[in-house]
Amino acid sequence: MPTDSEGRRRIVYCVGEERALRDVLPGFEVAAMLAAAFRAGLRGVRVVDPDGKDLWGSGDDVPPPGERDPRRPILLEGEPAGAVVLPDGAARGETQDALLALLADTLTAMAHNNLKRMLTTETHTEVVNRSYEELLETNRSLSASEQRYRELAETLEIKVRERTEELSRAMARLVQQEKMASVGQLAAGVAHEINNPLAFVTSNLRTLKKYTERFLDMIARYHRVCEQGGVAQQDRDDLRKHRESLRVDAMAADTADLLQQTMEGTERVRKIVADLKGFSHVDEDGEAPADLNREIERTLSVMTHEIPAGAGITREFSPLPVVTCRPGAFNQLFLSLLRNAFQARQDELRVTIRTGLSGDRIRVVFADNGPGVPAGLRTRIFEPFFTTRDVGKGKGLGLAVAYDIVTSHGGTIDVEDTPGGGATFVLELPVQRGAHDPIR
Amino acid sequence: MIEYDTDEQRMVLKFVYYGPALSGKTTNLLRLHDLLSKEGRGELMVLDTQDDRTIFFDLLPFFLVAPSGLKIKVKVYTVPGQVQHDATRKAVLQRADGVAFIADSRRSEAKNNAESFGNLERNLSIVGIDVDRLPLVIQYNKRDLPDITPEEEIRRVWGPTGFPVLLSSALKGWGVVETFRALAERAYDTLDRRYGFAGTHGLTRESFAERLVRRAG
Repeated sequence: MPTDSEGRRRIVYCVGEERALRDVLPGFEVAAMLAAAFRAGLRGVRVVDPDGKDLWGSGDDVPPPGERDPRRPILLEGEPAGAVVLPDGAARGETQDALLALLADTLTAMAHNNLKRMLTTETHTEVVNRSYEELLETNRSLSASEQRYRELAETLEIKVRERTEELSRAMARLVQQEKMASVGQLAAGVAHEINNPLAFVTSNLRTLKKYTERFLDMIARYHRVCEQGGVAQQDRDDLRKHRESLRVDAMAADTADLLQQTMEGTERVRKIVADLKGFSHVDEDGEAPADLNREIERTLSVMTHEIPAGAGITREFSPLPVVTCRPGAFNQLFLSLLRNAFQARQDELRVTIRTGLSGDRIRVVFADNGPGVPAGLRTRIFEPFFTTRDVGKGKGLGLAVAYDIVTSHGGTIDVEDTPGGGATFVLELPVQRGAHDPIR
Repeated sequence: MIEYDTDEQRMVLKFVYYGPALSGKTTNLLRLHDLLSKEGRGELMVLDTQDDRTIFFDLLPFFLVAPSGLKIKVKVYTVPGQVQHDATRKAVLQRADGVAFIADSRRSEAKNNAESFGNLERNLSIVGIDVDRLPLVIQYNKRDLPDITPEEEIRRVWGPTGFPVLLSSALKGWGVVETFRALAERAYDTLDRRYGFAGTHGLTRESFAERLVRRAG
């Protein structure tokens, strides 16, 4: 009997199996018929199979049937499946012949009807079993697919969350990039506009200084001529009075300083404009080799006004290999981290910036002595739009963008506690990026 | 094949009349029963029906003896055509030696014919019979009705398959014996290759078919 994969018996039913008389005629039904035939006068009547072998008798003690004994076939599916025989020694005659024929026809009809009933029952059972098995199978596969969908639904939520975070981060990055791009453009525009007048202001100042020196030289000479009696006493007194009321001597002494300071001022303006341009890297398109120490310095220089008064900034820089990156993006990254540090506390702020190599990775550490980041928030602070500041004070983009810049460079960013209190942000960046880290 | 007993010199074959519901499978068997000689066939066994529709199957057995003494019994079955009786169809199709596909010629039944033939192919593969090797004949029944698919169209569709296509009106009694004969001949070719009907048993294709379709006198 074939079995299915789980060892259950599986009915493989084939319509048409051949059957013998014994399969379709139960002994007790035949016995009843034979008893009736016996009473009607067929003494010793027997039922034999197609080979003549005895199947059933009427209970009389009669000799076994011979080939020549009168017999009538019992048909099954149109074929002789056996016969009724009247053995030697039994009463014979026309009545017995008729009764024998009647008995054979009756048993044929019985066999026919029983076979029909059996076929019907077998087919019905087969259909029920098969339907049941199919239902079980369907149930099994439905359960399996339900399980699958349930798992899918569960992981789907996680996937959606991950993708949403990714999208938010990408969006944040775009927003920030856009912002920085406009800041960069603005800076470039301002720098250009300032540079032009600054150039002639600087140049004119230099000329003015030269002229002023000559004016003063001339005034000094006039003064000497006057004092040595080159003019009338009355005019000399008038000139001295006028000179004193105008405080020309003090002016002459101050002029050089004024001009020197003014020229120093224009030089500072020039440097700020240059830093602004360098910081925004508006002149560079995409990747460029950069020394991160220098980029950090640059960032610090444009943030001067953001550094709280009395804050101490310690630079512990080690020489770094030049890395190929988008310097503008890295300046944004440093800006975000430094801005966080500068806002960590108002008084006695100490910020330490440490750079160095750790194996084949560059390690940059920004440590402050502020309140630090609670352990529960450490995974969340890099999420876009997550902020602990008051509404309107921060968009929650800085660290998300920082995270994005670092990871897109194949690096990592983590936050730790500063020994003695405060937050320490640790960046690790590969000196050489693998081919699998595409530039974003 | 249902049974082949070499000791007993006895072989039991199975032919199946397949097709969509109400295409005339039972009518085919009824006509065969009426048209063919009592010698060589048994009685038609019609299992219980429901509103005169086959819900189990019908059986018409035929008998012949080869010159070698091999007794051959051919059991011809119908299947229930209604879609829901698929499990029964599979049980009947099990170990079939030949199939006559009875299609309904009416245009409106084209879709049912196609679906039933698809069902036949599927069930054959389930019971492990190669449709390309199975002796198969196609009968387009009900040719006496109006609005039927024209013969040219039938030939055009079925021609490339190589299956013999016969036209019939089982109700009027024509084309039925021809279909049975065509099926017997196709089945003979397959059986002859495997069991040496001609060589071992002296049974020719002609006499095999003739003995099965002896007309009633």
